[in-house]
Amino acid sequence: MVPAIRTSGLTKSFGGNVALHPLDLEVAAGEVVGYLGPNGAGKTTTIRCLLGLARATGGTAELFGVDAQARPARAHGRVAYVPGEANLWPGMTGAQTLSLLGRVQGSVDAAYRAELVERFRLDPSKKVRAYSKGNRQKVLLVAALSSRADLLILDEPTTGLDPLMEQVFRDCVADARHRGQAVFLSSHILSEVEALSDRVAILRAGELVEVGTLAQLRHLSALSVDATFDSDPPDLSRVAGVVRAEVHDNQVHCQVVGSVEPLLGVLAASGVHQLLSREPSLEELFLAHYGADGQGRESAHA
Amino acid sequence: MREGPSRADRTSAVVTTVTARRAVRPAVWWGLLFGALIANEALTYRSTFPTMASRREFAATFGTNQALAAIVGPGHRLSTVDGVVAWRVFGLMIIVGAIWGLLAATNLTRGEEDAGRWELLLAGRTSRRRAAWQALLGLGAGWSVLWALTAVATTLAGSSDTVGFSVGESLFYATATTASAALFLAVGALASQLTSTRRQARGLATAAFAACYLVRLVADGRDGLGWLRWASPLGWIENARPLTDPQPAALALVAVLTGVLAATCVAVAGWRDVGAGALERQREVETAIEARGRPGSPLGLAWHLERWVVLAWIAAIGGLGVIFGVVAGAADEAHFASTVGETVAQLGGQGAGAQAWIGYLFLYVAAILAFAAGAQIASLRNEEAAGHLDHLLARSASRRAWLAGRLAMAVCLVLGSSVTAALGGWAGLHRDATGLDAMLRAGINISVPGLFVLGVGTLLYGLVPRFAAPALYTLVLWSFVVEIFGTGLTDNHWLLDTALLTHLGPVPASPLQWQDITWLCVIAIVAAGLGAVAFDRRDLSGA
Repeated sequence: MVPAIRTSGLTKSFGGNVALHPLDLEVAAGEVVGYLGPNGAGKTTTIRCLLGLARATGGTAELFGVDAQARPARAHGRVAYVPGEANLWPGMTGAQTLSLLGRVQGSVDAAYRAELVERFRLDPSKKVRAYSKGNRQKVLLVAALSSRADLLILDEPTTGLDPLMEQVFRDCVADARHRGQAVFLSSHILSEVEALSDRVAILRAGELVEVGTLAQLRHLSALSVDATFDSDPPDLSRVAGVVRAEVHDNQVHCQVVGSVEPLLGVLAASGVHQLLSREPSLEELFLAHYGADGQGRESAHA
Repeated sequence: MREGPSRADRTSAVVTTVTARRAVRPAVWWGLLFGALIANEALTYRSTFPTMASRREFAATFGTNQALAAIVGPGHRLSTVDGVVAWRVFGLMIIVGAIWGLLAATNLTRGEEDAGRWELLLAGRTSRRRAAWQALLGLGAGWSVLWALTAVATTLAGSSDTVGFSVGESLFYATATTASAALFLAVGALASQLTSTRRQARGLATAAFAACYLVRLVADGRDGLGWLRWASPLGWIENARPLTDPQPAALALVAVLTGVLAATCVAVAGWRDVGAGALERQREVETAIEARGRPGSPLGLAWHLERWVVLAWIAAIGGLGVIFGVVAGAADEAHFASTVGETVAQLGGQGAGAQAWIGYLFLYVAAILAFAAGAQIASLRNEEAAGHLDHLLARSASRRAWLAGRLAMAVCLVLGSSVTAALGGWAGLHRDATGLDAMLRAGINISVPGLFVLGVGTLLYGLVPRFAAPALYTLVLWSFVVEIFGTGLTDNHWLLDTALLTHLGPVPASPLQWQDITWLCVIAIVAAGLGAVAFDRRDLSGA
């Protein structure tokens, strides 16, 4: 089966700055792939090269087997796109914009579009300039989702959405996956990607550093723990699984890779007053595993 | 410790500083240009017209040229350096200053609001009124730089033994020259409060300028209508008569009007919603997504976005054609026509009469159309920089189809305006024997610079999108300046050939210069083709 996305040695440079190192990536039809990375990692550059909006310096990018750099209009025939910046024509209404984007798209499920307008609680009679940032983003989401395109390329699509609408978006992506649509979801929100993706690709400084299913990437996950003690805290740096323990007065912040049992044993014996654990942010994950000097990963794996 | 007032002051100062910083930079360049033109005109007067006979000849030729008077105002004491500097450069700079003023004000007030940056400033410890006032101060800083550079250049040139302007005369001249800039800064700022987008603000301010200019043009274009000058603020500035017969009261009127407009601007800023315009109407809106008349393609979108601009240009140029026709006919009836003969002859035409006048005046229409063509290329870049183009090209629209659609609209603007100008000119000349076919040839003639600008503009847009519009505006301005001043002062064809308008004859007073027209069109077509290829191969880029 022809993959929805296939890049081979895809490279992009701006002058002397390499924004995207040779990228080899494949997204199968019907698959949801999360594309993660901090700001400036090259996620949007990848997407712009995939869509032919930016010209690749080297390599190839194919959408359903069609060269997106050489024949972008044809390659876009089965693709819908939501950019991170919802810059729409301010003088047009939401309805006019949806109509235009649907017609330029070439295919639209009008009934589903009406349903999406309801689900996202979008008032299409307003002019774009009167919309909030979240409402402008809704217009783009409705336009893309209602196309029922075989591939949805979403670049930080929930920017500006409130939590309720973010849940609606997640439901819509889940629906798309059930219908067999592929989704390429660029984001720096780990929870969103985890909730929706079959596989995750992680980009750092223009290089693809990890690709795999969430299960395969478990070694990346670390639990962030904050513990407050009644007295001086114990030395947790020697406890199995604990990395980056930082002490401030009678508080300790650390991250735990693997089982938390050894840490809990030490804490229970040390008069812990308050314990707070949470999933680490993507930023923490990167600092833990891909420190700026490139040493973090080795130490984490050691 | 309480720091409230000082922090509030600092917040307001930020608005002034941010606005001033962006207003001052272009003002420096325009001030240097103004200064250079004034100094050049004053210092070369004696070498250009070394004898009293040559000065009298110049005064006799241009002093009674009613078409030129209509364009840049009437000349007084043209056999003296005072009269020449007060007429030729002054008349041109009033127009340029006004356009700079309205563009700067709408960009730096409504443009900032459109971009969402205004909200960030208003979120500080300031109010909408105070912020509007501070923005006006920032715009005023830009005007001050323009005035200062103009004043310094005039004073320095005036202190030369061959010129002899007093410091007072120089300062009054600089004030009168830049008064239109101050006035239209206020007009632009007020238009920005009344409308809800930069485009609308620019359109409203431009309409105000066009109305003022047309009234002034009619007043200066026909005998016995001089009183009409008092109906236009641009006429007040003209009536200030710097260097020849200074009338400070006329400038005081401009100052009062500028102040009233600025105060109104501040008042309106206080009661309108941020992001909305005071004149915005609540209309019944079609809520159905698929309704009739919705744009459905890049070409349809181009029509939807640009239709009013295109139709307004076509109508305005047609109206200008009528006015020029009337002016040419009146000049012919008043037996002024013989005075334009020399000018027309220098441009490759022959004879006098209404045909010579309309041919000469239509070269200015050609310059205006070339400017409009440059604005169309600028709108391509704006569409891309705003990120709107991504939504189309990430779907099934191709770059070439989008570009072709937008260029088709621009070509319609140029050709449509050329036709209405020809028809308008013919209608205005109704008592003259000039036939419709002759005026349609004049229409073809004036479309050529616009088409050339579109072609070369497409190439520049494909290669260096950020610099395309500034380069085109510079080309048009240069062509305009050379056309006004160059043909009468030099026969250096290397210099004259760099200007677009010198390749055109004053049709219908001369035949169409098919060879030059063919070359310009071929260059335009080749450049447009290369531009389309370059656009196809480059990255889309943001602001």
